[in-house]
Amino acid sequence: MGNIRIIGPRSSGKTTYLAALAYLPKASGEKSYFKIEPVGEDAKKLAAEAENIICLSESLTPTGVRTKDIFSLPVYQFTIDVKLPLRQPERIDLVVRDYPGEIFDELEAGNIDEVHQAFMQDCFMSDVEGCLILLSKWEEGSDRFYKRVFNQFLELMDNEGRGSNLRIAIAMSKCERGELWPGRIEPEVDLFGLHLPDTKALLESRIPAKNLAFFAVSTFGVLRRDDPRPNRTDEMGYDGKVSVLRQPKIWQPYGMMAPLYWLNSGKRIKHNV
Amino acid sequence: MGVIYIGDRYAGKTHLALELANPVHECVKVLSPGYNDLKSILCDPATGSTNPTSVMQPRQIDIQVRLPAGAGKVLVDWIDTPGEMWRLKWQQDNPLLWQQFLDVIKQSEGIMLVLSPYGEMIGANGNPDDFPTFQQWYKRFERWVEFFRAYCPNLRHLLICLNKADLFCDVKQESARLAYNTDSYMMNWHQRHNYILDHYFRPVKPQLEQLNRSINGLSVRCFITTIYDRSLLEIPWIYLGSFLSN
Repeated sequence: MGNIRIIGPRSSGKTTYLAALAYLPKASGEKSYFKIEPVGEDAKKLAAEAENIICLSESLTPTGVRTKDIFSLPVYQFTIDVKLPLRQPERIDLVVRDYPGEIFDELEAGNIDEVHQAFMQDCFMSDVEGCLILLSKWEEGSDRFYKRVFNQFLELMDNEGRGSNLRIAIAMSKCERGELWPGRIEPEVDLFGLHLPDTKALLESRIPAKNLAFFAVSTFGVLRRDDPRPNRTDEMGYDGKVSVLRQPKIWQPYGMMAPLYWLNSGKRIKHNV
Repeated sequence: MGVIYIGDRYAGKTHLALELANPVHECVKVLSPGYNDLKSILCDPATGSTNPTSVMQPRQIDIQVRLPAGAGKVLVDWIDTPGEMWRLKWQQDNPLLWQQFLDVIKQSEGIMLVLSPYGEMIGANGNPDDFPTFQQWYKRFERWVEFFRAYCPNLRHLLICLNKADLFCDVKQESARLAYNTDSYMMNWHQRHNYILDHYFRPVKPQLEQLNRSINGLSVRCFITTIYDRSLLEIPWIYLGSFLSN
């Protein structure tokens, strides 16, 4: 059983990422190396939300505003059958919890409220294999912000005794953006090394190399191979602006499985899967 | 999770809800109460017209919405409010009832607000004098914005329906343009909202944008509705169903 946690700032696309994971197997047919089956009420509800909401170019309700305590936090379960070329078929049972983005702001401020403290303790429980951290900002000032957040995060991780035995996947989300798309092939160098160097250096200095990996993720993807415009538009919505899917019929995410597979198995696969 | 259904006086809230329960439906079906039961509660048997709502009346309506991923059920705690309730005098005369209402609305994640059009919009089918002037309507709208900002911190979905569309637009044409179709998506929700915003809510666009930004997690969507077109009548409920159905 792969127990995974997902955290990241508000609007970094955590729930949309999971919704795509739950729904897209239905849309993408047999050609994928991964056969993903949402299991249980929460994951199935998320798949339905993807079809009813995301595919009609709307955005999901932010997680923070529908979460009152740890018990109301949905648990998304997936069964993933993996058939990679030249490898033995394998099955992954994935259990994912997606925390509200407000935690990220509180980590930065060094003042986490009671409910969110419970989330952080849950994040570092001994049966949690790894944590996927989605970051979406790369502009000036982001590096300093993320560095402050990770200082707090790593301290909590150490205090809970997980400093050397928890896999951390750092992913730049929404990589369909024109400024980021070319960096998707080598995210460690071309995204994190270039835009968030201090954050990257901090993480590398505190987390054993075998437990740290960098990824590029794009839940919405681009329009076509020969037309790399983002398959998203920005519209008025929650907190002012939201990103929504531009052309649902050609929805093709990028790099969704690679971090989850690594978190579960410690093995890397092609970056675009 | 309750959906609150409120609106201006004479905006046509009761008639709109009654018509939604009409057994002849497209994607939205009222499971209970039945059309005849609702009609007997809401209509004057002598005239057949709807009774104006005189007291705050909590009702439960079970609605089934056909969505792309299958049918979803929305449980609506419909608090039918008298139009007078929005007047300061009514609030002062009925402090307990007003507080009771605020307690409910503070918890609500979904509100459907029904507005009447303003006189200057009314075409040949209606009498502009039966409606507020633009200036009155505009002021009233600003008060609604203040109300939501002050009392609805948990609000996530605000649907604003400009009702009686048959009096201010070509219903057939707009219905065809805005139709929701689960097989082939003609307009998506954003395109639909932007079209209605540009054509019917343009004067209050800044207020809507401000409202969207001022409540964390709120999404405001605009619609036009009429009891004379099933498709336009159902669209806001389909939207609600997409987010709040089980």
